[in-house]
Amino acid sequence: MNHTFRGGVHPNDQKAFSREAPLRRFDPTGEMVFPVAQHIGKPAKPVVAKGDQVLVGQMLAQGDGFVSANIISSCSGKVKAIEKRRIISGAMAECVVIENDGLFTPVEGMGEAQDVDALSADEILAKIQQAGIVGLGGAGFPTHVKLKPRDPAAIRYVIANGAECEPFLTCNDQLMRTEAAAIVAGLRIMLRLFPNAKGYIGIEDNKPEAIGAMRAAAGDEFEVLALHTKYPQGGEHNLIQTVAGVDYPVAKLPADVGCVVSNVGTIYAIERAVAHNEPLFSHVLTVSGDAVENPGNFIVRDGTCFRELVEACGGVKGDGPRKVLSGGPMMGFAVGTLDVHVQKTTNGITMLSADEVEQAQAAMTACLHCGRCTTVCPAGLLPQLMAEAAEIKDYERYEKKLYGLECVACGSCTYICPAKRPLTQTFKQTKAEIMAIKRAAQAGGAK
Amino acid sequence: MNTENVLNLSSGPHVRDRWSTRFIMHVVALSLLPASVVGVAVYGLKALWIILVSIGTAVATEFAFDKLCHRPDTWKDGSAIVTGLMLALTLSPNTPLYEPFLGSLFAILVVKCCFGGLGKNFVNPALAARCFLLISFSNTMTDFSVDGVSAATPVAELAAGRVVNITQMFLGTANGVIGSSILALLIGGLILWSLDIIHGQICFSVLGGFTLFMGLFGGQGFDPYFLAAHLCGGGVVLGAFFMATDYVTSPVSRLGQTVYGVMIGVLGAMFRIFGGAADSFSYSIIIANLFVPLIDTYIISKPYAFRKKAIQRQNGVTPAPLLQRIPKPVVTLAVIALISGLALSGVFSMTKDTIDQQKLEAAWAAYQEVVPTAEGFEAVPAAEDFKGEVYGSGFGRVYINEVVAGTDANGDLAGYAIAVTSAEGYDGNVGLSVGVSPDGTVNAISFTELHETPGKGMLCGEPEFMDQFHDRHADAFKLLPQGGGTAENEIDSVSGATVTSRAVVNAVNAALDFYHNVIEGGAA
Repeated sequence: MNHTFRGGVHPNDQKAFSREAPLRRFDPTGEMVFPVAQHIGKPAKPVVAKGDQVLVGQMLAQGDGFVSANIISSCSGKVKAIEKRRIISGAMAECVVIENDGLFTPVEGMGEAQDVDALSADEILAKIQQAGIVGLGGAGFPTHVKLKPRDPAAIRYVIANGAECEPFLTCNDQLMRTEAAAIVAGLRIMLRLFPNAKGYIGIEDNKPEAIGAMRAAAGDEFEVLALHTKYPQGGEHNLIQTVAGVDYPVAKLPADVGCVVSNVGTIYAIERAVAHNEPLFSHVLTVSGDAVENPGNFIVRDGTCFRELVEACGGVKGDGPRKVLSGGPMMGFAVGTLDVHVQKTTNGITMLSADEVEQAQAAMTACLHCGRCTTVCPAGLLPQLMAEAAEIKDYERYEKKLYGLECVACGSCTYICPAKRPLTQTFKQTKAEIMAIKRAAQAGGAK
Repeated sequence: MNTENVLNLSSGPHVRDRWSTRFIMHVVALSLLPASVVGVAVYGLKALWIILVSIGTAVATEFAFDKLCHRPDTWKDGSAIVTGLMLALTLSPNTPLYEPFLGSLFAILVVKCCFGGLGKNFVNPALAARCFLLISFSNTMTDFSVDGVSAATPVAELAAGRVVNITQMFLGTANGVIGSSILALLIGGLILWSLDIIHGQICFSVLGGFTLFMGLFGGQGFDPYFLAAHLCGGGVVLGAFFMATDYVTSPVSRLGQTVYGVMIGVLGAMFRIFGGAADSFSYSIIIANLFVPLIDTYIISKPYAFRKKAIQRQNGVTPAPLLQRIPKPVVTLAVIALISGLALSGVFSMTKDTIDQQKLEAAWAAYQEVVPTAEGFEAVPAAEDFKGEVYGSGFGRVYINEVVAGTDANGDLAGYAIAVTSAEGYDGNVGLSVGVSPDGTVNAISFTELHETPGKGMLCGEPEFMDQFHDRHADAFKLLPQGGGTAENEIDSVSGATVTSRAVVNAVNAALDFYHNVIEGGAA
């Protein structure tokens, strides 16, 4: 049986750079920077002040309301400042800056084994919320919110997302190989919250070792699905389509169709938090690309500077990078400098010696109407017509007739376009414009 | 590690597929190579020159346009090569070289560049150019003569109800355009399809729609020989795989593509069955091209999450089995197709009697014309024995339809009128009545059915040609293709219409043979 979804593309997976590099703990020495907004929802409110001494595992900022997440210190040291710093997205944002003392002294009780079976569902959720866990796959949606749907009994599928379809990234591959038992334990904890659900683990078939390790750890308890290697297999919509066979619109949540999907990294974090009393302050990350000397996989502390990690990999290679990405090349962000800091959702640093976007711009032609974008769109949209509507700003047609707001910006259409047209980019912008118009209309109506 | 100043910023995705516009265009051009090679092998160097002139003009035109209008160098993207090559493959190997030149110029300059270049043309440039040439140079565009002797294309032969050699058509050795080797076209087309460069929905729905309509209304049912002959002739395969699938002028959604494909197939078949022109497939694609904006506006597929099945699943309902899930538009289209099919065949059968009646009246008028002194006619029963069978030998496929004896006012024999049809006209049947006086002299001939090429075969219906038979006495007439006949039994061919002229002479000879051997021979 071939587990896959409709559409999708086959970019070179580039995993060979780092696939066999074992996970290494990396302890940084420089200052640590923690933005208070690393998740979807309200920014957290700082609970420390300049000059305070903090320990590893100590809360730096507290989630503001339910849809928010705590920010946890990953080092011990002194709070140097609470100020605006440049973050990965390129914006200046409020950050807690800590002078790292290099000792990594933990708070009391961290790492102590807990009796998970004795905990109630609400206690598990409280621990997850306390630990500041968010979706580590990239979106950063607070996990305690995701795990508390209106009707937990309606959840049928709890899916561990180990697809790792993004090129270059191999850290989840390594995590599954080395921490399979912990991930299975984490999935077991999640299933405590959903009485009628069954657990699944989805892994792309380009990671046979990870599939083997997870199968050995899961036994008969959970089904490990070998997924056809195709981007964006790890997208929430596509994984649910593959495992549960349901398509759902962006206005709905996975829980509305009986599914909960979490990245294997997140599930590992849940296990650490619930069973070992260790909040989320570190996670796995891949440093890769052809412009870094020794690509590798790390368990990295939040707040670590990109530059330190690149130096830990032997520094830049050759003429240095033309482009540095936070994350992989499909969904990642280009960063303007290496002096930015790892956030909870940062799963990779990709250093590229050549910028294909630059080359593509030079080779751009008019749209051929070849329909390749339509073929690959995993949502079944018509990117070619969407681009036409966006160009003439026919937002009515874009939204109502072409369902343009259903685009999740996976980038498949831009990737495949032989005319090298920036489709995804146009759609992101158009979506932002339509949302702005809607907000303005709402504000106008409220007056 | 002072890299900061050179880091590029851009929105994702940051990697791109290797395929480019240029690559795709070159693959399409290469996929036409087998057909081009067969064309050159069969028709010789003149075909190669046509291909080269066509491609060269297309590329040069785009280059000149780019330079003159200070546009980016779009001539490099390979699309002009494809347009030029496609145009060349739709031309007869006998086309004079100025025609591919003018055609390519028209395709690139008028159809493509003037509408905004690549991706903006509203009809297929190569086909538009072909139609432009067909209208402008109808004589040379339809000249498929072999070694100076005019010959019909297989589709024209087919329309005339004659037997065609499908094997020759399939291999491309039959009479036709340069790119008429079905085998070579199929190789190229299937390669493109397997590479996902062309959409199967389009090419297979064109072929499907064409076959279905041909089978239903072609008058010969689903006769495999008949269908295969039609599929192999007249650019159906070239059109389905290379012309209809042109990206710019085909719809976006799968359903839209299917509708568009069926439309081309049905139009093409309809033009073949009910229309006169053998080149109708080009027109059917052009017409469907014009509907593409409409299709793209109204036939838009919904994203997966909004389709009925998905919505049912979202609500925890198991979707109904396949048969109940056939989309409404498909059912609607099928019903419309059925109704229009029934209506068409209804009209055909209702008008059939009227048509026959008119034919009969035309025949009697013709008898009167060729035996002017007759006051009344009476059928010669002996002719009944020959009805529906090819008459004699050496006359080609000639049929004796009816023979009547005319009597004058005194009741004496005024002469015989022999209605005869040759199935070997350039474009179908040639029907005529031959008047023979009692002494065996030909009075005159009169056409009852003649629909040949205007300016050529149709000239056989003019007095200049017809009067050659007037009051001539001969056992058999002889056709002189080069003209200059002086003897009683010599007939000058209409220049450039040897086929039609020969059909007429054969028909007259058959009539005379009937007169001498059957009537005079005492059978009557």
